[in-house]
Amino acid sequence: MSPVSVSTRIRHFTKRTYVRHVFLLWIFFTIMVGLFAPLQSKLMGPAASTQMEVVQETMTLFTYMAAPVAGLIFAVVTYSLLAWRSKGFVAPQYEGTNSRGNGPTTVAWILVSSLLCVVLLIWGLAEMADGQTARGDERARIINVTGNQWVWNFDYIENGNVRSQELYLPVNEPVLFHVTSVDVNHSFWIVQMGVKVDANAGAVTDMRVTPTLIGDFDIRCAELCGLNHSAMFTKVHVVSQGDYLAWILKNGGHQ
Amino acid sequence: MSHTAEVTTAKKRKGLMRKLNVWTGIVFGVVVAVAAHYLAKRYIPMGADETGTVLMDRVVITTMFGWTIGFMAGVGAFVGPYRWMMNRDLDHDDQMWLAGKDAGMARYFRFTTDHKVVGIQYLVITMVLFAVGGTMAMMIRTQLMRADSTFLNNTWYNTLVGMHGIIMIIATIIMVSGPFGNFVLPIMIGARDMAFPRLNALSFWLIFAAVPVLLSAPFLGGISTGWTAYAPLSTQAPAGMDAYIVTIIIFAVSSAVAGANITTTAVTMRARGMTWNRTPIFVFGTVASVGVAIPAFPMFMASQIFSGLDRTQGAAFYDAANGGSGWLYANLFWLMGHPEVYVILLPALAALLELTPVFSRSPLFSFNSAVGGIAGITGLSMLVWAHHMYASGWAPDLNGPFMLTTELISIPTGMLFLVFIGTIWRGRVWGRLPMLAVYAMLFNFLIGGLTGIYMSDVPVDYALHGSMYITAHFHYTLMGGALTGMIGATAYWFPKMTGRMLNEKIGIPAFVIMQVGFNVTFMGMFLVGLQGQQRRVAHYDKLFENGNFISTMGAYTIGFGALMLLYTVITSWRRGEVASDNPWGAKTLEWMVPTPVPLENFEVPPVVTSDPYGFGGPDAYDLEYEEDRRPSDDLETERV
Amino acid sequence: MKRILGILSFVGCAALFIGLIATYLLANSAAAPVLAAQVNGVATTSQGVLPHAFLKLNTYPDGEVPENFNSDHSPHSDWVSYGPSTTLQVPAHSLVTIEITNYDGGEVLNNDFFASVRGVEGQAIMNGQPFTSISPEHVGHTFTLRPAPANTTSDLFVSVPLQAVAEEDMPESGYTTKPNVVTFSFVVGEPGEFFWNCEYPCGDGTYAKFGNAMSAMRYMAGTLTVV
Repeated sequence: MSPVSVSTRIRHFTKRTYVRHVFLLWIFFTIMVGLFAPLQSKLMGPAASTQMEVVQETMTLFTYMAAPVAGLIFAVVTYSLLAWRSKGFVAPQYEGTNSRGNGPTTVAWILVSSLLCVVLLIWGLAEMADGQTARGDERARIINVTGNQWVWNFDYIENGNVRSQELYLPVNEPVLFHVTSVDVNHSFWIVQMGVKVDANAGAVTDMRVTPTLIGDFDIRCAELCGLNHSAMFTKVHVVSQGDYLAWILKNGGHQ
Repeated sequence: MSHTAEVTTAKKRKGLMRKLNVWTGIVFGVVVAVAAHYLAKRYIPMGADETGTVLMDRVVITTMFGWTIGFMAGVGAFVGPYRWMMNRDLDHDDQMWLAGKDAGMARYFRFTTDHKVVGIQYLVITMVLFAVGGTMAMMIRTQLMRADSTFLNNTWYNTLVGMHGIIMIIATIIMVSGPFGNFVLPIMIGARDMAFPRLNALSFWLIFAAVPVLLSAPFLGGISTGWTAYAPLSTQAPAGMDAYIVTIIIFAVSSAVAGANITTTAVTMRARGMTWNRTPIFVFGTVASVGVAIPAFPMFMASQIFSGLDRTQGAAFYDAANGGSGWLYANLFWLMGHPEVYVILLPALAALLELTPVFSRSPLFSFNSAVGGIAGITGLSMLVWAHHMYASGWAPDLNGPFMLTTELISIPTGMLFLVFIGTIWRGRVWGRLPMLAVYAMLFNFLIGGLTGIYMSDVPVDYALHGSMYITAHFHYTLMGGALTGMIGATAYWFPKMTGRMLNEKIGIPAFVIMQVGFNVTFMGMFLVGLQGQQRRVAHYDKLFENGNFISTMGAYTIGFGALMLLYTVITSWRRGEVASDNPWGAKTLEWMVPTPVPLENFEVPPVVTSDPYGFGGPDAYDLEYEEDRRPSDDLETERV
Repeated sequence: MKRILGILSFVGCAALFIGLIATYLLANSAAAPVLAAQVNGVATTSQGVLPHAFLKLNTYPDGEVPENFNSDHSPHSDWVSYGPSTTLQVPAHSLVTIEITNYDGGEVLNNDFFASVRGVEGQAIMNGQPFTSISPEHVGHTFTLRPAPANTTSDLFVSVPLQAVAEEDMPESGYTTKPNVVTFSFVVGEPGEFFWNCEYPCGDGTYAKFGNAMSAMRYMAGTLTVV
């Protein structure tokens, strides 16, 4: 057996009919799965914060990256059902291939999946390093959030002694929430802003968000907290800076 | 003749042991439970600052342990140790009696050590648990059909969510390594029984004892916590929580015993010539699974012991006001919780890996990748637990490292996918029910796996954590992946275990209905999850009504399909077509022994000379793909 | 044909069985009987002239007083509970005035947010005197109302504290003769469902006192339906 170059082998491989069929199916399924990418962001609604923009961007990108992987597997299994299935209930008349593996394929598969994994990781770390999710931004307005079975309380500590049960935020201004609980665990989730952190008794957790859209959005408790967990929701009103100040003054706070 | 006489005298001499069965177990268990209840009520002291709830918790826990110990004694679990202590160790006849020799159906209802009996017992209890958990799922979905449904009140809803969760988790943990790990695995490796047959029976009967304990929870005020039983909510929960705690403690003992047993069996009792690279892949998967369980479940047990101490002794392990921390619970729980999903998944995938070569008539593609994939998942599964806690605020600085380990796990998982599609590639696919399960699993588990990658990304997880998206994701992996694998394994080994073929004329339509219903249900959940519905809510915003309605309709479809499948299993088991010894033409050892499998499996210990995947041939390739082959394709003669 | 009949009868029997379980759950999930508000005249409110509906509730340290629904319909009549019922019904587009007579003692709130009167129409009145908040150290119970998740037409939030009966006025046995009577009003709009509950940790349990009566419907939690 004389040595054969890799390119020759690939060339001959791609000439086989079934390989071409699988390839076409691959393209088809890749497109089909890819169609889900914009759909997800659409279902999540317009991004109401810089954080949510990142989330939607990530989900879209990951779906596009996943599409060829999923497409390949769907293509092979679909083709095998269509062309390699022996009809009827009786055992197949012929045996299949006796190939016990293919070194280059395995190596390529592991390399590609590792590469994809590295891309995911770098992307994720870059997002986190943006400073929006973990650290940074000294200027953020601090609001204390207290979870209670089954109400959220918001203390606008930078604006005096103001406390509310619905949240008011000025638009386009970074906010840092200090979140805690007086009883069991809750999870403070501003749905359309794509941010969430648990409220734990005896501990303060941090969450940052920069709202970018004026409007009313939903806050829901995302950690089962007992009897009326499902009723533990409230609204966040994102308003202009002026309206925010007016609301603070009306409720006995100061600038 | 003389043999029979010996048995008769033995019966006379050791009468009590031979009278024990599940009924005496239940009676004795109830008696001890009642006694423990009254003793506890009378004698447990109470401090001045303690409430009636605390006393009730103590009494309930004592009663439940009383039941468990009484039942185990009554069923005969302690006969061996007792006789050993009395210096009258079990003789050969006793051992044979324990193994259920010539006992007919009765051996399924007592402490029988034969691994095949234990396997069947596990299969039945798994199906019972699925029926119970599935019924609860139907109730949950009925409540969620409409946004303001008043079918269940919040207490019942929370309880059913928790019960459904923990029952399904227990059922899926035992569903493959229990029935098939016990029945099939020893034969597959050429052993005559498990390494520790009595421990084997012990592990099953512990689970049997735990079931009534768990099912008592709704009548003790319910579980208000979901299956995760997060502290401090669990400290506040009614006495139903004690049922959960006791169940988990019993279950952890059971799984530790079973894990040690299966691991030892696979490591030490393989037939001559069965080197590791000739060992069937199912053995790797099962050993990896129980191997992961051995360190994981003690964490769960510890978390529940602490929880019980908090409830009954005011220990404050999880009470922040007294120096404890809820994060301690979360860590202990997820140290079990994430390995546990691989405990569920690995044996199911391995069972499908085992049958894929048989039904595609070609060897397992890259055995080493399969083993490497299983090993990689096993190793990494211990290092990813805190991805359940990205949003808990426990250690935001560790989110990066945990994101790394979580994303790495996609590499070994991808290797398993490669093995599946590589095996199918150019195979001759035989479209029977076991093979359909492989296809369904590939489809579902791919979706489950890819959506898992979104959540491994920290910022995306902040958006999705605690939403229905998560619920859909893990049902895609655990139900679409693992449970589908279990159905495939059942269909595959059914002829060997029951001696009859599974009726696929009903089985296949039932399976397809289930799969369609499954995808409808959980696609609906992905939808409402993306829209922002949180998990475990009895009522929700009108916005989510359409998606939930779709899910409920899908759930009813699953229910119909599952009942149809159950019908198939029951009728085929009773009067199906009698199976030959090796109906699938498989090459693993369990198909080389007669059906029904004799008591000690092999008359002569087998000697293994090759791995069981010697399917296929170059001929097949030539015959099938002749038209593709042109002279230039002939690589051997190609000049470079 | 025989096979299909077999499947259908099996599935039918199983479905029947599941239906029985569902019926049991439904029966066990039943709310307390409806207590409908009495409409009496009209009232001028911030949202115009509306029908005026009245509800009278009480809170005893246990549910054993005869007028309390839990006295003979509950396995836990010894638990603290609102009475006479916790399933309230009021007419749409009306001013609802609730009078609660509190016979129970009390101590410190978990969250002093609930020591203040919130979201009421006009003023809340205790024992004839208007009040806006009480000491968070002497709270008996609270009546805290919010929309159910499916109720998207309202963002009503009402919370009123009930002053605890003083320690020296709580008798060893029987009920106090010096209850605190709190009256407050709020405006309801479109038909829809509301959840209400107590926020004072008056349940049992070793953590945050939110167990038992606080963790079950019918006792310190209920619904208010606008019809």
